[in-house]
Amino acid sequence: MKRSLKLTDISKDVDTQLIEIDIDKLIPLPPPYDKVEELPGFKQLTEDQRERLVCNLDGVVSTALPKPKNKEEEKKYIEQFVSGLKKLLSRENNWTFLQPLLLSIDYCAQCQTCCDACPIYLASGKNDLYRPTYRSEIFRRLVNKYVKPGGKLRAKLNKGDIELNWTTITRLYELSYRCNLCRRCAQSCPMGVDNGLITRELRKLFSQELGWAPKELHEKGTVLQLEVGSATGLRPHVAKDNFEFLDEDFTEVTGIEVSTPWDKEGADILLIHSAGDIISFPENPIAFSILCNAAQVSWTLSSEIPGYDGINYGVFYDDVQLAKVAIRHAQIAKKLKVKKIVIGECGHQHKAFMTVADRVLTGDLNIPRESVMTFLENIVFSGKIKFDPSKNDFPVTLHDPCNIVRNLGIVEPQRRILRYLCPQFREMTPHGVDNYCCGGGGGLSVMSDVNFTDWKVNVSGRIKFKQVLEAFADQPGPEVKKYLCAPCLNCKLQFRDLFAYYGAREKSSIIFGGLAELIVNAMVILKKPFITWGEY
Amino acid sequence: MAKMELAGEMYEVDENGFLQETEKWNEDVARAYAAKEGVNEVTADHWTVINYLRSYYLENGICPMIRRLIKVTGFNLSQLYELFPNGPANSACKWAGVPKPTGCV
Repeated sequence: MKRSLKLTDISKDVDTQLIEIDIDKLIPLPPPYDKVEELPGFKQLTEDQRERLVCNLDGVVSTALPKPKNKEEEKKYIEQFVSGLKKLLSRENNWTFLQPLLLSIDYCAQCQTCCDACPIYLASGKNDLYRPTYRSEIFRRLVNKYVKPGGKLRAKLNKGDIELNWTTITRLYELSYRCNLCRRCAQSCPMGVDNGLITRELRKLFSQELGWAPKELHEKGTVLQLEVGSATGLRPHVAKDNFEFLDEDFTEVTGIEVSTPWDKEGADILLIHSAGDIISFPENPIAFSILCNAAQVSWTLSSEIPGYDGINYGVFYDDVQLAKVAIRHAQIAKKLKVKKIVIGECGHQHKAFMTVADRVLTGDLNIPRESVMTFLENIVFSGKIKFDPSKNDFPVTLHDPCNIVRNLGIVEPQRRILRYLCPQFREMTPHGVDNYCCGGGGGLSVMSDVNFTDWKVNVSGRIKFKQVLEAFADQPGPEVKKYLCAPCLNCKLQFRDLFAYYGAREKSSIIFGGLAELIVNAMVILKKPFITWGEY
Repeated sequence: MAKMELAGEMYEVDENGFLQETEKWNEDVARAYAAKEGVNEVTADHWTVINYLRSYYLENGICPMIRRLIKVTGFNLSQLYELFPNGPANSACKWAGVPKPTGCV
């Protein structure tokens, strides 16, 4: 019988792992995905990695934090952590998120209702470490101890005092990247406590105060994006060159003239894709070019840094980086004198730019911003394009990106499109605002260091993969071709990892893609299918 | 930083084994990576892909889109997987000594 994990364990046993992930305890997947021995397996850390890196949490390393050089270095970081805690709780330093943070610290009734809402906790076979309240309660006790008057004395008198040491902060750091920030927990909380927000505040503390952030999000994320234009490393002229190639290539493939306008001053709409789509899933941005042109929309892309990469990883870990990227995007739109910005198929871009950025986009930078979902709905029902829904006569299900659906409440536009254009559209259970995250949310889908991908496909993405399979349970075999509509780049990256790991394309003929591709596939004017299950 | 021995020399690599100092690459490095993945002979077809990836990366600071790689080299995706066991991103880019693609790709 395993011992239950206590909150105070977080500071104990310096170099030992807090828990082991037991594959047999994870919730089962339907056949043929239930045979663990037929899957690629869970990569264990090598001796060399254990030697170099901090790995004291769950046998998984996502942040590749090097071990400290000496005790002084440890001490410096612990002091920075305390000073960061104080900043998080001060209006002057955290005016953006102080109020919801205080409410989430003060009002938790310890009822644990949120645990049963968390896909990571559930998929893990209810491993205590992944309870949304485990991380939050430790954070809460540290705040009460180090920030509130008389806190240290009270902590000594109360049971469950959390000792703050190197082990505590490094485990909290790694643990802050075992959450998708999907906020299903917040939705289920009778008091409105937001454990997703607490997780993100923790990440923010580490980034802004200790300089700790996963390199995929910071150094090769926002920093690279602000410097060269895109976190992919795509520079402006390379982005345009790639689009020219794609315009030509797809003109050949589809038999209709495909063209993409750039830097058109005075256009009605500035469309901002995520640059990763241009490189990895080019059918998606090209589908937009086809649709906008067919519907005679006055639109443009921007080749100014970083106007062609709409991602904003700041929303995952750092307020300063978040503000810098959002302001640059708005400035580009202002310079182009567009009437509004349309946010492409990317969930966190929606959250960053449509809501959070409201706090920093003031005056004439507060340019109207519209979701791709309503934008596409207006195109589909404008009457300007002729559709033949029978071209989409294959099973289709819809994944709800958390940031678009639960967090912004944009639920129906995409469904009205699918009900009209996809005769075999079926919902997952649950869906809409009750959806489960793909498992790559909160920036996790772009993090792939050491053995983190194995954790994402086995644990955080497990419930979603199960849901996808269940949505197609009436025709599970590979003889029926199926389409998972995932209108978000981050979600698609996670599905790519999931499908590759489990072999879903081969075993079940399920492919994934965006929403725009399905719309183009139903256009009467196209002679050949736009969506193919084979390869190009 | 992790280190890896390739063709008798030590190189800095990331946690996934990708070369960090792309300028130190040579053909023996590519052969050593190939051998680690069970490919003992690096053929002219491999070199076509490796050389194109490298030259595109050095010119543009990023790896080419798969679609472009396919069009330029003439190999389709399954042929690329036959040549490079873990595919164009995880094998071909690695053998060519260019960094693992990042940032939502």
